[in-house]
Amino acid sequence: MLEIAPLAVAGIDLATGTAAVNGMVSGLPVCIAPAAPLTRWSLRARDAGALSAAIGRALPDRIGVVIDGIARLGPDEWYALLPEGTVLPGGAGLPVSVVEVTARAVGFTVEGAGAVAALARGCPLDLAGFAPGRATRTVFETVEVQIWATAPETYHVEVWRSFAPWLWHSLAAGLALTAGLD
Amino acid sequence: MILIHCPYCEEDRPEVEFTYGGQAHIARPLDPAALDDAEWESFLYIRSNPRGRHAERWRHAHGCARFFNAIRDTVTDRFEVTYKAGEQAPDGAAR
Amino acid sequence: MSGYRLARGGRIDRNRPVAFRFDGRDYSGFAGDTLASALVAGGVTLLGRSFKYHRPRGLLGMGAEEPNALVTVDRGPARITPNLRATQVALHDGLVASSQNRWPSLKFDVVALNDVFGALFPAGFYNKTFMWPRAAWEALYEPVIRRLAGLGESPVARDPDHYDATYAHCEVLVIGGGIAGIEAALDAAQTGGRVILIDDQDDLGGGALSDAALWPLLTDLKARLAGCANVTVLGRTTAFGYYHQNFIGAVESLTDHLAPAEATGPRERLWRIRAGEVVLAQGAIERPLVFDGNDVPGVMLASAGRTLALRHGVAVGRAVVVMAAHDSGWRDALAMAEAGVTIAAIIDIRDVVPGDLAEAARAAGIAVHTGCAITHVSGRHAVKGVTFAAAGTGPERHIACDAVLMAGGWTPSVHLWSHGKGSLAWSEAWGAYLPGTAIENCRAVGACAGAWSLGSGVITAVLPNRKPVRAQKAFVDFQNDVKARDIHLAVQEGMRSIEHIKRYTTNGMATDQGKTSNLNGLQIASTVLGRPVADIGLTTFRPPYTPQTFGALMGHHKDALFQPVRKSVIDDWATAQGAVFENVSNWRRARYFPRGGETMEAAVLRECAAVRNAVGMFDASTLGKIEVVGPDAAEFLNRMYTNPWKGLQPGRCRYGLLLREDGFIMDDGVSARIADDRFHLTTTTGGAARVLGMMEDYLQTEWSDLDVWLTSTTEQWAVIALQGPMARAVIAPLVEGIDLDGAAFPHMAGREGTIAGVPTRLFRVSFTGELGFEINVPAHEGRKVWDAVHAAGQAHGITAYGTETMHVLRAEKGFIIVGQDTDGTMTPADMGLDWAVGKKKPDFVGKRSLARPDMDAPGRKQFVGLLTEDAGELLEEGAQVVADPDAPIPMPMIGHVTSAYRSAAAGRTIALAVIADGRARIGQTVFIPMPGRVIRAKVTAPMFYDPEGSRLNA
Ligand SMILES: [Zn+2]
Repeated sequence: MLEIAPLAVAGIDLATGTAAVNGMVSGLPVCIAPAAPLTRWSLRARDAGALSAAIGRALPDRIGVVIDGIARLGPDEWYALLPEGTVLPGGAGLPVSVVEVTARAVGFTVEGAGAVAALARGCPLDLAGFAPGRATRTVFETVEVQIWATAPETYHVEVWRSFAPWLWHSLAAGLALTAGLD
Repeated sequence: MILIHCPYCEEDRPEVEFTYGGQAHIARPLDPAALDDAEWESFLYIRSNPRGRHAERWRHAHGCARFFNAIRDTVTDRFEVTYKAGEQAPDGAAR
Repeated sequence: MSGYRLARGGRIDRNRPVAFRFDGRDYSGFAGDTLASALVAGGVTLLGRSFKYHRPRGLLGMGAEEPNALVTVDRGPARITPNLRATQVALHDGLVASSQNRWPSLKFDVVALNDVFGALFPAGFYNKTFMWPRAAWEALYEPVIRRLAGLGESPVARDPDHYDATYAHCEVLVIGGGIAGIEAALDAAQTGGRVILIDDQDDLGGGALSDAALWPLLTDLKARLAGCANVTVLGRTTAFGYYHQNFIGAVESLTDHLAPAEATGPRERLWRIRAGEVVLAQGAIERPLVFDGNDVPGVMLASAGRTLALRHGVAVGRAVVVMAAHDSGWRDALAMAEAGVTIAAIIDIRDVVPGDLAEAARAAGIAVHTGCAITHVSGRHAVKGVTFAAAGTGPERHIACDAVLMAGGWTPSVHLWSHGKGSLAWSEAWGAYLPGTAIENCRAVGACAGAWSLGSGVITAVLPNRKPVRAQKAFVDFQNDVKARDIHLAVQEGMRSIEHIKRYTTNGMATDQGKTSNLNGLQIASTVLGRPVADIGLTTFRPPYTPQTFGALMGHHKDALFQPVRKSVIDDWATAQGAVFENVSNWRRARYFPRGGETMEAAVLRECAAVRNAVGMFDASTLGKIEVVGPDAAEFLNRMYTNPWKGLQPGRCRYGLLLREDGFIMDDGVSARIADDRFHLTTTTGGAARVLGMMEDYLQTEWSDLDVWLTSTTEQWAVIALQGPMARAVIAPLVEGIDLDGAAFPHMAGREGTIAGVPTRLFRVSFTGELGFEINVPAHEGRKVWDAVHAAGQAHGITAYGTETMHVLRAEKGFIIVGQDTDGTMTPADMGLDWAVGKKKPDFVGKRSLARPDMDAPGRKQFVGLLTEDAGELLEEGAQVVADPDAPIPMPMIGHVTSAYRSAAAGRTIALAVIADGRARIGQTVFIPMPGRVIRAKVTAPMFYDPEGSRLNA
């Protein structure tokens, strides 16, 4: 299980742990929780067809769209979030790049009527119109994240491993503050 | 914080997702060895600093990660247009 | 002024008395009071001292414009907030506030002598007087001026509060919750989009809160607003800045209006709002009149007197005189009279006023003096009376009174409009600037647009008076103590533009940004210059509209969340071992592992010896890593790095040196070829993002034809550096699928297999000069493998070491650290890295620059070693090196120390340096001047241990 270390840098010690946190943001309920284990892949190619053929999977053709666990992040970049144990062909010798990055990032789910408000505390995108099936790289304050809208009022947030404690505690602090739990 | 239109994402996105990349349309010489010292110095260091329209590079670093070009007014901080890397600057654009 | 609570009226809750303290005395007010209204009700007249002359001051305004009544609110230790406007401090039980800028007390202030000698402190006095001598600035002028001038004192203890921040998006943002703002919000709500309405008061309504006739309408509008699900109302929220593309910064006050015991959660919330359209409904601010004695406590704006009476049920005095140049003063007087306030007289500079107002005043029994002006106000700490005269110059008459209300007309609040770069247009009718053409999708409504009937009036510069302006204490900027005479002086001294006049006089430069003074200042300058106001211009409004706390602007970036501190997966282990950490870029890394109270020096000597004599393990996970994949991977690296890469065989590693295009060293690292089309690059810890960004730049914009892609794998891999003669023995029982034999797995080879059952990329590399491995495993398995290696190493005396030992071990071998031994101006040749430059390569990034004449000119600094004559002497990193310590100061400096350590292997101190023509100085003595002494050192090659490299191949 993902371990969210307490933050003890200066002053206030935030030690929320790794259990799901429930709270309110803007008066709306939110739950943040570590996501289930997944495999992660960074997929690159000039020609989407070549990549699709190399890994044997369909690829979304629009930037910001997800199909079957694969998001198109840029013109030559896709990112796959696939069930634990999935192995993709390496594409050796082909004009593609398949790199496993399962350990690079961790995922959180942010769920509930207040999920958009919880994310908006640090993400400058207008997520109100960010429908399920969309995904993008963006930032939460100074930290780069990916936000995937997986279902109504449900978001999967990807963040590089070493930034995860800060992000988790930042999200949790927002919930706790509003719920008056701190 | 301004919004910048990414020509790849085809969306207006918040400035904090972007990084600035200096003046645009300064191609690295194909054969640097063929340049004399003055020409190489000019390529390396000499940049325009206009008051007004400026062709410059931006990167949607925390989005699609692509470099692209823009015409921005350095007085008003307004983006006139953004366009993909490798595309010609629009007619009349400052160089 | 002797204000008192009216027997009835106001919007306060008379059933909820509220006790508070001001300057150590107990007072009582009611829920719904501000600190200002409660103090006036309590008969308090004197609320502060002015900034420059420390003149006694009372209340002037009723809201954000208040320049005088700045107070410090004390909410307990470390929660002391200075410079709050008493008009905007909501009263709560137990509030503790104090006046500012006085010593030793508000009534008796020694610095008020400034005022007695006021003639010595005209405009420009500071500029002209304190110019010379320069040294006196530090020793005398600045400390004295700082003590004399200044606002409240900043708290010194750590702020225990926390702050929230959020972004928000809406189709329409309305700023200002008066009638016009509420109506705009209701209109916008009809379209179905998201609407946000911001208002800075406790209660929506703006000016209508002080107009009982509008209360029924207000109640109705608020009910309709509450019924709109798509409208978010942010009360107690100040929009402080209007930025490009309708981006508005606002701060919501969450707890300051509550008693400290009731305050939970964050104190303030920063709102960063992006709006499709912005509607500004900020209203207008009443303008003071400029006349002799207009700053005596008890002289205030008519709108303030009205607000106190109608909203708070407070009379500003027992006999009130209104000095008007505008109809609104009459209306205020009539409304106050109806509320029970005794209006002694209305004086109006105009000869003719609207007949209905004059009649109503007479009917209310108010004496009326048209065509007259106040010529003097008597009283120092409170108004005792006024003299006035026809046209200011006729025979003087006296009225006894304890409050004077000024009605000088209105200034539409165009601050945010101006932040948004909207143009302004001079309106003769208002005698003020009104919003002109918008740049953003923005419009102004209500009084701030000039679209609100407040009556008519005349605009005056200074009220007429027999005395010359230079003999009058007629204030324009109350907070910065700028008088009409100061603006006259500025013009006499040659200032023509309002920007110059502003800076010369400081008019409008106080914390209130001239909300009540800008227009009067302009009008006076216009009169003196004999030019229309519009020709003189208007100073620029800049954010913030009102001062904001640093806490609010920082939002959640505070304490533990101040910034992300990146930790590797080994960090918990290091913490448990009592490691001492250091920050490297935004990572925190174990610096050394002290045992039993060891000093850093002792710990590092022990860790170094362990690596040289047995085996050490080091968490190198923070190294930057990039997976370079694609058919053109080798070609790409060949173009990026100085050395050749095409011939590197899969399974081999190579040191890569990266230059910027200008030829200077940018980064370095050892990289492995995993397959024909796949490389595993490493970069320095701090350089990872920079290197990836530069490589992406070349790839996307210069060589977009190459089929190769870059993926950051820094956080994919945990890296354990295992170094020392016993390294192979430690991992031998853990590794499967790799032949560890020296011949099969030589130095600078890379293999894939498993370690402790975990898939690994195992590299035989060394940054210590010892036999060594770097074990790369997926980060989530890193701790497990670390523990396994640590356990397996026990039999061999394995010792964990930190970054300090890593630095010493590499320095003993003369390996550079980019950014420590180099500074962005060093070439490969400077650093003795010629061997890493592919001479036969036609091109690589930076190659052409290396051929520029200065890049190998004589006199360049070169990387060398230094051995102090005293083997125990440790040089300071950064210390300058000279050839002749007896040369006159400033003596020529020939270089500096880049690294210095105590070396266990060398049995003495060692140092690295960059010194002009250093290699030619090997064997010579150089000098390092330090305070009080000069250290002698011998220049050596940058190599202090095993120069043959025999230990690598052990
Ligand atoms: Zn983009």
